[in-house]
Amino acid sequence: MTDVRAPEAGPSPAAGQDDRQAAPAGTGRPAGRAYGIADWLKWGWRQLTSMRIALVLLFLLALGTVPGSMLPQEGADPAGVQQYYTSHPALAPLLNHLGLFNVFAAPWFAAIYLLLFASLVGCVVPRTFRLAGSARTLPPRAPRHLTRLPHSAEYGTALPPDQAVEVAAAVLSGHGFRLRRCDAPADGWVSAEKGYLREVGNLLFHLALLGVLVSVALGGLFGYKTDRLLVQGDTFADTASALDEIHLGRLATDADLAPFTITLNHFSASYITSGSQRGQPLSYDAQISYTAHPGGPARTDNLEVNHPLSVDAAKVYLIGHGYAPVFRVTDARGQVVYDAPTPFIAASSGSSGNLLSEGVVKVPDAQPDQLGFSGVFVPTAIDVGGTLESAFPAADYPAVSLIAYAGNLGMDSGPPQSVYALDTAGMRRLTADPQSLLPGQSLKLPGGQGTITFTGYVPWVSLAITHDPGQVPALACGIAALGGLLLSFMVRRRRVFVRARPGGPGSTVQVGGLARTDASGGFEAEFASLAAELRSAHDRAVHAQHEEE
Amino acid sequence: MPVNLALGHVSNDFLIAAIVIYSLSVVAFAGDFAFGRPRRAETTVRVRQARARAAALATVGAASAAAGGGGSPPVTSPADEALGRVASGPAAGDSMPELAVPALRAIGQAGPWIRTAMTLAAVAVAAHLTAVITRGLAVHRAPWGNMYEFVTALTCVAAIFFLFVMIRYRAWALGVFVMGAVVITLGLAETVIYTAAGQLVPALQSYWLDIHVTAMTLATGIFFVAAVLGVVYLVEDRYARRVAAGRAAPGNGIMSRLPSIEQLDRLTYRTIVFGFPVWTFGVIAGAIWADQAWGRYWGWDPVETWAFITWVLYAAFLHARATAGFRGRRAHYIQLLGFASLMFNILVVQVFITGLHSYAGVS
Ligand code: HEM
Repeated sequence: MTDVRAPEAGPSPAAGQDDRQAAPAGTGRPAGRAYGIADWLKWGWRQLTSMRIALVLLFLLALGTVPGSMLPQEGADPAGVQQYYTSHPALAPLLNHLGLFNVFAAPWFAAIYLLLFASLVGCVVPRTFRLAGSARTLPPRAPRHLTRLPHSAEYGTALPPDQAVEVAAAVLSGHGFRLRRCDAPADGWVSAEKGYLREVGNLLFHLALLGVLVSVALGGLFGYKTDRLLVQGDTFADTASALDEIHLGRLATDADLAPFTITLNHFSASYITSGSQRGQPLSYDAQISYTAHPGGPARTDNLEVNHPLSVDAAKVYLIGHGYAPVFRVTDARGQVVYDAPTPFIAASSGSSGNLLSEGVVKVPDAQPDQLGFSGVFVPTAIDVGGTLESAFPAADYPAVSLIAYAGNLGMDSGPPQSVYALDTAGMRRLTADPQSLLPGQSLKLPGGQGTITFTGYVPWVSLAITHDPGQVPALACGIAALGGLLLSFMVRRRRVFVRARPGGPGSTVQVGGLARTDASGGFEAEFASLAAELRSAHDRAVHAQHEEE
Repeated sequence: MPVNLALGHVSNDFLIAAIVIYSLSVVAFAGDFAFGRPRRAETTVRVRQARARAAALATVGAASAAAGGGGSPPVTSPADEALGRVASGPAAGDSMPELAVPALRAIGQAGPWIRTAMTLAAVAVAAHLTAVITRGLAVHRAPWGNMYEFVTALTCVAAIFFLFVMIRYRAWALGVFVMGAVVITLGLAETVIYTAAGQLVPALQSYWLDIHVTAMTLATGIFFVAAVLGVVYLVEDRYARRVAAGRAAPGNGIMSRLPSIEQLDRLTYRTIVFGFPVWTFGVIAGAIWADQAWGRYWGWDPVETWAFITWVLYAAFLHARATAGFRGRRAHYIQLLGFASLMFNILVVQVFITGLHSYAGVS
């Protein structure tokens, strides 16, 4: 320790001890005899909890996350992973083997952060004990030559040394310093230390990081995330069978889903209508009604982007929208075999496609042949060289374009089909060219196979329903980490020593100061004003004595 | 509310004016290097005067050895070495003795080049700030809603922060580097990623977004200054090592004008100590916004991933300062790597790698 330089300052309880964990690398190895397992373990643990290894692990953590942003990830972008497989058929399996398509769940990534947090625990827990200890032990003795400290001052006073020290001690304790007095009165000094909160802040920061990790794990184990596409006018209950997609945490089950029902009453979107940003969305508004429990009271709410609905520990988010054209299909017998809105999905993300949407209509009940249609919906139709394009995302001039098929939809056999794709293997195409329809118009299928009528459209929204029990703890830990950081940066741990020796008419006073940490600066100014205050306190004490006499 | 186009033009004009005036101030800062009086010698004289005065007044020799000139070796015991602590010994002492002189007088004493440069820099900062504010008034929201606005705002933060640092620590000699970097960045923003004043998509309309991007803008501006200081540090460090190895002549005119290597190190550290909590706060605010907009507070979206990498690298810098063998040059490499990851996030990830952050507004 810097301040333990004077020979008289023998190994006091505080001397030679530091609250910073810092097993120096390479010195912990037992020398001169064969190493036992225990020795190796001890050595390894010492290494792991050293600052150097912590630094290396931090580096590895930064490095390890890089592929997670450069390669498509299974969680966020499964389609991107598929595409990568097609474009790099040789490389992709290798990358997959290394877990690079799912970095944040890969064992090697877990190894990095678990080692880092093991190191953190090994570092922080001993520090906590030492902090508790240092709150009880006294500051070290004053070094002999205070002028050698980074900050020092010297002046004479008429007070005898013991009184000078007494006055200085009063000033320092008035500033909240913890004091240590000299053991023998002839040896006039006082040591003072302040700023223990800085260590508290540092510990709080590191422990809070650990808390963030635990919170994230909590969410991963007990949380869930589900998706549901909801057409305007429809209702759904939050049960496993009614949801489109469910991602349950490892320890969560279907029974954890919150038992609410939601109806989409009305959805509206507004867009910028002119200028270079024409077509860019301005606002979305989904008016819903919901009941939190079966049989509970119905409530209404406006779901907007950035304004999720909280219901029964779950949150419901508006994350997408689109159009569901309504078709009525009659088959060869003249029976109405289909009459429903059919959600179509925007072909390109963002506002570039102006919500030109694609979808399919499957009519398994049509007789004698099953019917299928693949089509495009455009909210504001324009004709660009014979193909239908969308000029604006609002449904100002909607139109659909359809290709009709008849035959076997293949829904009875094989793996389950997507509702957004038509398996045309068992079907024959009825129309050579795509046929465009405006609302109210019908297409008569050739060969008397039936009729399809485009009767109108309704909007749909896609909802994400999530539950994350780690969310609030994570936020609390994040705030605690920030608070600890600020504490650690703004509080400086500092020591001030005062020594008075006989000299001149009374004594010579030396003041020395040392900032053990001073991240944001300012100890110099503090020391200067403290030294000035000590001096004037001594002057005042001298005056007071004169007046008494 | 529709965009006020006239005000948008006013903002652009102010920004152009700011770029021009910044450039002139850089010329003046450079002029000081070329024609100004050498400063270190002068500093030492002033140190001595200040010390004499302090001794006479109060015998409180607050600043013992001269900070600029080096002198006795730092008080660092072997134990300290092992514990990874830099003792604030005399050479590394906190004292920047010129602080005894009030800021304005110090500028006055620094010579005509510095006076001119500082005046120009202050005027440019005012114009720059006006440009940012009028842009905000034109679009009726916080004026950092796309990449162009973000870069404009972060350079404004950097310039203001650095003006403060220059005045607080009398670090004029660094003006040519920081203001030079500001000019180059602004010039690139104006030519490469200019985006007309416009409105935002719904996901970006959130006050948490405003808070998040404000914090990120502030922190980026501060890290920007730290990065420039770090580069100057490395140049000076390299020069010092070359001198020590006998491969360069000591007494290089430019080097002698720069703050000492210890001062630079400390200045960089304090700058990052200031920026790191702001960045941390920005990441937390971003997580809150992500939770509201997308239903998860953290999803390893590419932009989030890179913000995390940046955070880890700056944390590594703070660690490195307390790790034996990593102080000094290596620590600065780490913080520059952190800044590189920050720039990569802004310039590459947000523009070319698709994610949920449809922020850039650059097409
Ligand atoms: C999750 C990984 C970690 C992160 C993000 C992190 C971050 C930080 C930050 C930002 C600081 C500066 C703030 C302050 O001084 O209070 C710091 C300081 C410190 N960290 Fe960590 N840390 C991590 C893990 C560790 C580990 C594993 C150890 C122990 C081996 C450790 C030991 C320390 C020590 C001793 C300091 C004080 C340095 C000083 O006094 O200047 N940290 N850490």
